Amino acid sequence: MAHVSIPSYWKTLPQRYCLIGMKCKNCGTINFPAREICISCKQKSEFEPKKLSGRGKIYSYTVIAAGSAPPEFSEQEKLAGSFPVAIVELEEGLRICAQITDYEEEDLKIEAEVEAVFRKIYEEDKVIRYGLKFRPVKKRKSLP
Amino acid sequence: MSIGILGYGVYIPQYRINKAEYVKAWGRFAAAGIEEKAVPGFDEDSVTMAVEASMNALDHAKVDASKLNAIYFASTSSPYAEKLVSSTIAMALGAPPRVSVADFTSSTMAGTSALLLSLDFVASGRGHFALIVASDCPYADPGDFLEHPLGAGAAAFVVGEGTPIATIEGSGCTTIEALGERFRKHGEKFIETLGIPAYTQAVIMNTVTSSVKALLNSTGRKPSDFNFVVLPQFDGRLPSGIARKIGFEETQFVPSMIVSQVGDAGAASPLIGLAKVLDEAKPGHKVLVTSYGAGASSDAVSINVNEEIMKRKGAVSSVKDYLADKKYIDYIYYLKIKKMI
Repeated sequence: MAHVSIPSYWKTLPQRYCLIGMKCKNCGTINFPAREICISCKQKSEFEPKKLSGRGKIYSYTVIAAGSAPPEFSEQEKLAGSFPVAIVELEEGLRICAQITDYEEEDLKIEAEVEAVFRKIYEEDKVIRYGLKFRPVKKRKSLP
Repeated sequence: MSIGILGYGVYIPQYRINKAEYVKAWGRFAAAGIEEKAVPGFDEDSVTMAVEASMNALDHAKVDASKLNAIYFASTSSPYAEKLVSSTIAMALGAPPRVSVADFTSSTMAGTSALLLSLDFVASGRGHFALIVASDCPYADPGDFLEHPLGAGAAAFVVGEGTPIATIEGSGCTTIEALGERFRKHGEKFIETLGIPAYTQAVIMNTVTSSVKALLNSTGRKPSDFNFVVLPQFDGRLPSGIARKIGFEETQFVPSMIVSQVGDAGAASPLIGLAKVLDEAKPGHKVLVTSYGAGASSDAVSINVNEEIMKRKGAVSSVKDYLADKKYIDYIYYLKIKKMI
């Protein structure tokens, strides 16, 4: 991660706050984040917004240890000495990179079920950047 | 079709700090009747807690966020002194851009203010569905005993047209000018008090008693008519004092008590208390909710529980579920995640 300007962050709020992907009208592939050219059919297609469920599994993860966090996450690293970042494979099949939060050590494993949760990601120039992290599934009951 | 509460939900962060940690650090825990309190995680604030409670409430009400016409956020601890956060919540929930929003701040009675105004919003025909969410984690100087009871939590209610799980029968209010109790000046991070306990106590008791009397007069009810009563929970002792003064029994107000496990959750406390009794309430029950905001004002709201509530039991995580899901932290970690060291 590196510095993301406010205008760039703002343009991508639907994906950052509510996991809105863009579905290619040509081949049906969900592009996340949005792109000009579809990642699958490589066409300059039309896209329609598609809200992703936010449920998935840890595909892989790593732990960002002392000294290796990007500057905007240094406060967070100082708190516990390290924090986990995972590649999450969503129900819809695509993979995204995000932090894992509200976890116990034993929750950090490949295939563990996780769900998206709205959290503060970091603060820069006094502006709070909200977005999504993932946490182990155990909390919110979903309706039948 | 009638207008009322269509659903509700809460959120209580998983971290807890208990009395013993404070005693180790300060020699005492200056929070009567509180055993432990909820603490927001490093990546949580009143906005993120509000989003979680709101999602639960929308699920419980079976109302999609795209149907919302109003979103009211209530808190004394909005991360911004100026800049809407109801807009952040609206976007995170997926509400339409035409949604009307407002942030209710600077008082621990902001939750009931927003609830009552959301009813007016729907009743006046401005829209069909309103979401109100009270979410709070008040801050005080860790060197001040005032900091000890401060906890965290959120409660959200969907108010609108449909088959309500509960309807509002009436409300009463009392406002007087009072000074020097709980306050926070512009630009300050921490709440303060001039620390005159007998005076503060008297102002709270009189204001709340008076708003309850106003409600009883306008609805023709008497204290014994209510199955559940939610009284201001700044600590665990105050509710019994107020109850004694008005004539409520322990069986009426004890079921709403959350302060012993959550702490003082500011503007969210009265509505988390309401959510807890609604979790347990049966059709035909009557609930009285009161709030208090320093400065000073108090709302008293009378609520009738409807048949529909039985259909929605267990649909989303209850107050009890959240109270049971916890992880204890020590005092140093507490100061760190509250960014006080």
